[in-house]
Amino acid sequence: MASQITTLLANRDLDRLARLRLNASRRFTNRSRGEHLAAKGGTSTEFCDYRDYTPGDDVRFVDWNIFARTERPYLKQFHQEEELQVALLVDGSNSMLFEGKLDLARQVAAAIGAVALRGSEKVSATFLGGGEPARLAPCRGRVSMGKFLTFLERCEGGGETAIEAGVEMFLRRHSGRGVVVLISDFLTGGDLRRAFNLLNSAGLEIFALQILAPSELAPELNGDLRFVDSESGANLDISSAGDLLALYHEYREAHAALIADLCRQRQGRFLSVSAGDLFETVVFDLMRRKGWVV
Amino acid sequence: MGCVSFLSLSSAWLFLLLGPLIAFYFLKLKRPRQVIPSLVLWRQVLNDQRVNSPFQRFKRNLLLILQILLLTLLVLAAMQPLIRRQSVRTGRLPVLIDCSASMAALDKPGGITRLEAAKRRVRAMLKGLPGDQELSLIAFSKGARRLTGFTNNTRELEEALESLQVEEVPGDLEEVLRLAQALSRSAVFDHVLLLSDGNFPAHANFELPFKIEYQRLEPAGTNAGITACSARRALGGQWELFVQLSGSAIAETSMGGSVDFVQDGEVVATEAVTLVAGSSPRLAFKVVTDKAAAIEVRFNPSGFDSLSFDNTAWLKLPEPRPLDILVPVEMKAFRHALEALDGLRLFPKENETPPATYDLAFIDKAADLATPARVLCTVGLVPPELEKLVALESRNSVAVDWRRDSPLLQHVVLDEVVFMDEPFTAPETSETDFANAGFTVVAQGGKGPLIVEKRERDNVRIHLLFAPERSTLPYRVGFPILVSNLVQLAQSGLAEAAASQTGVLPAATFEPNSTYRVEGPGNLRAEGRTDENGQLTGIAAPRAGEYMISGPGLADPVRMGASLVSAAESSLAGIDQIEFADQLTVRAADASVLKSDRTLWWPLLCTAFGLLLLEWWFFQKRPSTMAR
Repeated sequence: MASQITTLLANRDLDRLARLRLNASRRFTNRSRGEHLAAKGGTSTEFCDYRDYTPGDDVRFVDWNIFARTERPYLKQFHQEEELQVALLVDGSNSMLFEGKLDLARQVAAAIGAVALRGSEKVSATFLGGGEPARLAPCRGRVSMGKFLTFLERCEGGGETAIEAGVEMFLRRHSGRGVVVLISDFLTGGDLRRAFNLLNSAGLEIFALQILAPSELAPELNGDLRFVDSESGANLDISSAGDLLALYHEYREAHAALIADLCRQRQGRFLSVSAGDLFETVVFDLMRRKGWVV
Repeated sequence: MGCVSFLSLSSAWLFLLLGPLIAFYFLKLKRPRQVIPSLVLWRQVLNDQRVNSPFQRFKRNLLLILQILLLTLLVLAAMQPLIRRQSVRTGRLPVLIDCSASMAALDKPGGITRLEAAKRRVRAMLKGLPGDQELSLIAFSKGARRLTGFTNNTRELEEALESLQVEEVPGDLEEVLRLAQALSRSAVFDHVLLLSDGNFPAHANFELPFKIEYQRLEPAGTNAGITACSARRALGGQWELFVQLSGSAIAETSMGGSVDFVQDGEVVATEAVTLVAGSSPRLAFKVVTDKAAAIEVRFNPSGFDSLSFDNTAWLKLPEPRPLDILVPVEMKAFRHALEALDGLRLFPKENETPPATYDLAFIDKAADLATPARVLCTVGLVPPELEKLVALESRNSVAVDWRRDSPLLQHVVLDEVVFMDEPFTAPETSETDFANAGFTVVAQGGKGPLIVEKRERDNVRIHLLFAPERSTLPYRVGFPILVSNLVQLAQSGLAEAAASQTGVLPAATFEPNSTYRVEGPGNLRAEGRTDENGQLTGIAAPRAGEYMISGPGLADPVRMGASLVSAAESSLAGIDQIEFADQLTVRAADASVLKSDRTLWWPLLCTAFGLLLLEWWFFQKRPSTMAR
């Protein structure tokens, strides 16, 4: 039996991931050549469009067949195949330490990173824990797979960094356009709209994955309770908690809907899963059906 | 309309416990800590307006509210609240329970008696008896007796209520009211509760010293029974027996049945009868006997009959014999009138021994006043008891007035009769003085009584305060009638017989100064002692039926019957209102449930217990969760 490449993913899952590609809907690519078609015209072999010839254009790209029929010169244009940078931003704060939320987050991050590296994309990773975020510099190709997976394996959760603050810290050191994959529970009182705006203006297409614990999705509470925030340690007294559950569910669903709207308005994607869901279900089922990977 | 008051208002200080309760609640309130990923969503939930609505604010401290409510209920229960009713608002309340014969009537086949219905009402009253109210149960029928003193001991009251039984005798309302009046002298009360079916006279000769609440029970079912049974001696040694049947006042349909006539234990005649509403058929039987006979008349109804013990009557026919009458030879007018009548033996008579006791004796000498006779008629003599009140003068006088309903003067007219003797009363003497001496004035002259009468047990003394031979009376047609009436008086008990009624057994003669045992229906046992004359009297007969008397000198027990024979009781009629002597009218209350003070501590305790269970359930139930 072959030894495991990483503790995060099974070898069989890595093989399955090799057949997937990240499906970015927008063309936020970098100038360096890659396997993703850039929005503007380029020099690849893939035909893109025609335009009128203007003096000074390279006559090698004139379509002589059309010229012969119409006696007017048209210039053939081709796609520019550029590199897509995939930035992984994993929330590892205290709130992610509940009921396997962080484990699933690291597995999904490893999966997306593996897909990107196998697709010859440039992959960077940022882990938001306590203090300064841990960061994996952009790397490319299958040779970087081990380094990438080791980075994720070594990341320890904890800390109080909110996701919006983590985004700002991430953007301070990040350069390049592409895709940013945010993996968090998004349970923050901060301004997510601003964080998403910053990401969008940085040329990053937002893939937001919300991971909630089963106890957050279907809490079983009753009576008078004192809630303690795992990050801030703040207390909140609740009376007759059982009677507030319906209202809680309303707010939870509204919160998820808000994040989905923020993503949709920026042509991004959003997916909310439970930490109790299987990794295979999330990646090979939900993400494929939602068009995250193809 | 009732109002709420408290028996133990001083217990209100327990409300001070609310302070420690609230203090302990907030001091001791320890919420379980629960670490959760983030408070973001819960803060939003708590900031929601719906959570902060008044109802939700209430729910926030629901446990405290429930505990305050629980303590409030317990304190209120300790204060013993009660709803005061207008009808009964006294600390002491005598409850007069009718247990006369009509109270044994059933409402339907297999139903309950009126007495049981009354008991149920009293039980309902006892269930909510306030601590400051005392009841005294008084039962009445022909007489009245107090079952309990004033007490609020419900066990004692219930035991007394259980022991209460119907007495098969007619009821007497005045008797119990007099007892209640006597009670009011020792224990103050201003209300009396009367529970009855209303089977008593509508007029009561009684001045109410208290208010009376008359609770009439629901009417009973249909009934028919023997309401009269008597016999009269006829010519030829025969007796004519008369039996009257009556139906209940509320009977709407006819009732059939048969009447058995039993003589000395043998059924000698049976007659079918049909009673329609309002009818009272009278049956007559002939009895041929030359000795004493025991008669039993049984009515066998074909349908439902509310009362069973009014269907039988017992009668004892005495042995027929001629009347022994003493009439001195000198009293020729009387002797002449008596000789014309049959069935008499006149004394003195040659070669005949005088009897020990005469049935009727005429005397005109003061020395003969001690003559033993059941009916003694003195002529021209003033009885020794009246010598201070009346004196005789030789003067003409006439009768001013006389009692025409008196058996003595039936069909006797004293108009235009001149008496040569005039009795006159002493100054400042009134008829009350005669009544105090035990005499009744039967005929009144111008200045004094002409005829007075005194009844002593079975004996009657009639005093003609004039000499008939010195008057025009012997020459009037009224004189033989007067003599005949005297004979009729002497014949009563010998030529007439009536069914003895329940209450007290008729007097019987046995060996003097001996003790006799009496056994009656319903395992009734009693003992009685005869007096020096051998008279056994005063034996209680509360139930209808045959009583057996055994004792010295009796080889076989003597049978005596006691019958209800009361038209009022058999009719089961109930009056709606009672009119008293002081023109006061008391109407029957319509309420089917006895109105009384109602205590609320028990419902409050039940509510508190229910609240406790609700609190336990509310805080122990599993929370509702929303499926993803």
